[in-house]
Amino acid sequence: MRLFVRAYRSLRIGSTAVAIYLLYKVPAWTRRLLQRPPLGDDELTPTHQRAARLLLWTALGLRGVLIKFCQVVATRADVFPPAIIDILKQCHDAVPAHPFEEIREQVERELGKPLDAVFREFDREPIAAASLAQVHRAVLLHGEPVAVKVQYPDIERIVHTDLANMRRVCAVYEFFDPQPIALLPLVQELTRHLELELDFEREADCADRIRDLFARDGTVVVPQIHREWSTRRVLTMELVGGIKITERARIEAAGLRPTDVMQELMRIYTRMILAAGFFQADPHPGNLFVQENGHIVLLDFGLSKELPEGFGLGLFELMFSMMTLNQSAMVRAFEELGFETKNGDPSTFLLITERMMKRSDTGRFEGEFTEEMTDELFDAIRENPVVSVPSDFVLVGRAFSLLSGIGASLGARANVLEAMGASTGATS
Amino acid sequence: MAAPSTDLPLEYSREELLDSGSYDEPLIAGGVRCHGGFEADGSYRSPRTIHRAPAVQAWQERLRREDCDLIQIDPALMPPQYPNVEQAKLLLLEGVREPVVRRLTIISIVEGFGAIIRDVGVPDLASHVVEPITGTSLDHLEQGLFEAHARDEAGYRDEGGHKQMWEAARDLALENPKIPGDVLMQMMGQGPGRRRERKRGFPQIDERLERMLATMAQVLAVEVFAMGAFDWGERLLSDSEVSAEPEAAGRMVSFIRADESPHVEYLRTGLSEVAARTLRTVDGGSIPGREVVRGMLHSTLRGLTRERREEQRNDIRGALIEAMQVHANPASLLERFDELETKWTPPEHTGFEPEDPEPQA
Ligand SMILES: Nc1ncnc2c1ncn2[C@@H]1O[C@H](COP(=O)(O)OP(=O)(O)OP(=O)(O)O)[C@@H](O)[C@H]1O
Ligand SMILES: [Fe+2]
Ligand SMILES: [Fe+2]
Repeated sequence: MRLFVRAYRSLRIGSTAVAIYLLYKVPAWTRRLLQRPPLGDDELTPTHQRAARLLLWTALGLRGVLIKFCQVVATRADVFPPAIIDILKQCHDAVPAHPFEEIREQVERELGKPLDAVFREFDREPIAAASLAQVHRAVLLHGEPVAVKVQYPDIERIVHTDLANMRRVCAVYEFFDPQPIALLPLVQELTRHLELELDFEREADCADRIRDLFARDGTVVVPQIHREWSTRRVLTMELVGGIKITERARIEAAGLRPTDVMQELMRIYTRMILAAGFFQADPHPGNLFVQENGHIVLLDFGLSKELPEGFGLGLFELMFSMMTLNQSAMVRAFEELGFETKNGDPSTFLLITERMMKRSDTGRFEGEFTEEMTDELFDAIRENPVVSVPSDFVLVGRAFSLLSGIGASLGARANVLEAMGASTGATS
Repeated sequence: MAAPSTDLPLEYSREELLDSGSYDEPLIAGGVRCHGGFEADGSYRSPRTIHRAPAVQAWQERLRREDCDLIQIDPALMPPQYPNVEQAKLLLLEGVREPVVRRLTIISIVEGFGAIIRDVGVPDLASHVVEPITGTSLDHLEQGLFEAHARDEAGYRDEGGHKQMWEAARDLALENPKIPGDVLMQMMGQGPGRRRERKRGFPQIDERLERMLATMAQVLAVEVFAMGAFDWGERLLSDSEVSAEPEAAGRMVSFIRADESPHVEYLRTGLSEVAARTLRTVDGGSIPGREVVRGMLHSTLRGLTRERREEQRNDIRGALIEAMQVHANPASLLERFDELETKWTPPEHTGFEPEDPEPQA
């Protein structure tokens, strides 16, 4: 049975890869035979869309790593064209739930007890289902409501099979394609993320660490972890409520000002990223709530990331130099952050920032990484393959761009420099 | 201080207010070209002042001619530095360098943030002020005054400003020290976010106008208090017992201080001009500008001298004690350190308390 499952997954991953490869190559070969010029970037858009749909379809069928892979691809606008990214973004909402019996077995195996020896109630329908785990509402014996995040049974093995398959596919692809996109580093990045996300003990530690960081504030909520009912694969935590951060009408109905909510959210993220160098790296709207008293809830610490020392200051210097149009400081900041040009010519950095800053009204960076600006930044990087980007920067850039998206739903700006300035009391 | 009444013009273009003229020799700090420079006789001239300085003088003279007060913040309100010069010196002499490096770095960053002033929205002032504003500094805020201020603080294009000058002074005096990883943490504070004032102080006036005036009052107070930090920096960094380059580092801070005085001057001129006028309220009535400006200065000064100060001192102290652990005898060092602290209680009055309803004639 297992063997069959593994063979089936390998086969589907392999055939999808071949199909995608042919999708690109057959038209290219045909054109070469007919002696026509190769297709330009724009003309390839339909092919990109077809390939992305094929990948998404296989991913939703097989789940596991492929979903995560789609998610990672969707975050790498510096490598892939927008047509692909737009489609693969959908894999966040589209995941079907696993049957309850599977979940029950997994919880009982992990906790070493029957379900009703730990929980007075356990909802059959999950609150949310994702690629590696799903979350159920439950009530502990003494009556406390909790959220239980349960990893799918066998997911680790599936992950390993899938990763091995993907590495193989990459190797084959790179062998055949004369100018391959560097897919292998993406798979390696994915492997690192998955290792982090599959370890709920680490997730619990990260939650504690972020909670400590805001302990003195009293305005940031991180669910308490019930360690006695948690393992590497099951995470039992305090059930917290609130309004989803993008639901502007409900936020206003609760008597909160969306601009205040946004300012507080930005304060929290600048504190984590720039000041503490440790952050919850996944601020998508599903992971953030606002409570009626204005407190912000942070969820999902699977993807929490430690940034290298000096990263926050380096990022600040980069933003600052872009605000003051100081080119020599920009180059210095890029280098400090670990950007590299393969030809050693730093003027490429300036071309890239220039393109990004053209997307702002004033031609200067004003403190907000809007989605258009981040897209433009990553487009510019993709089109200048001489630049290599540190992966931490990609993660942070994505986080700020997600926050800017939340800002757009709230009708407020996600200004990083302003959030910093406000908490220093420097001005205004 | 009765300057002779001159016939300096009251109108300036944006280009003029941003013009530095030419220098005999540029200012180079730590290998970075900075703003400002030197005249033939070796004296330092601040950037963007060849027209801005006489302009501010002209507007101030006009206020005087028209018998209006020029706002003055009492220097006694300025909280002492923590750590003060003697305390900082003790730390450096005892090999505990981190807190001083951190403090200097934070000063440089906070200076840089001064650039935010250019993003303060300036409403159509002529429509909010009853009396005419032609020939005032108010009429020039967007015409170069805010922009010049922003460039002075943060630098502009490849010319460094105060941020880079402080960095240079720090690196000269303390020989390119390693920057502690937690500067931004210290700077942003560890307590809860200071909620943006939910309640507006003067809801009867236009919101943008209120925000602009409140920012000007806040920045004026910060600038006046910054003089304390400049004294501190200049004394410490020019002390040959602790500074590797006492002369160059001390001079650098003195240039920064010289550049700051136009900021204090144009801000107090602008606020005084508002105080001498009447503001339209949103419901069609009016309110004396004096009441608004004094109200804003009062609440800003109370905030800066009371709530904020304790909070900041405690944050700094926590990190200080931690940094002292590198010392052979941290407890005795802390004791000596504490003995040197400047005792201070904030004065009772800010000088901008609400006035009697009937102002004297
Ligand atoms: N403690 C909690 N209290 C209430 N709801 C929770 C709690 N933890 C998780 N949820 C809900 O479950 C959803 C999924 O949880 P979580 O984000 O931790 O899982 P995930 O597998 O990492 O999902 P994804 O990869 O989509 O972010 C959250 O968006 C939230 O709606
Ligand atoms: Fe300054
Ligand atoms: Fe200043």
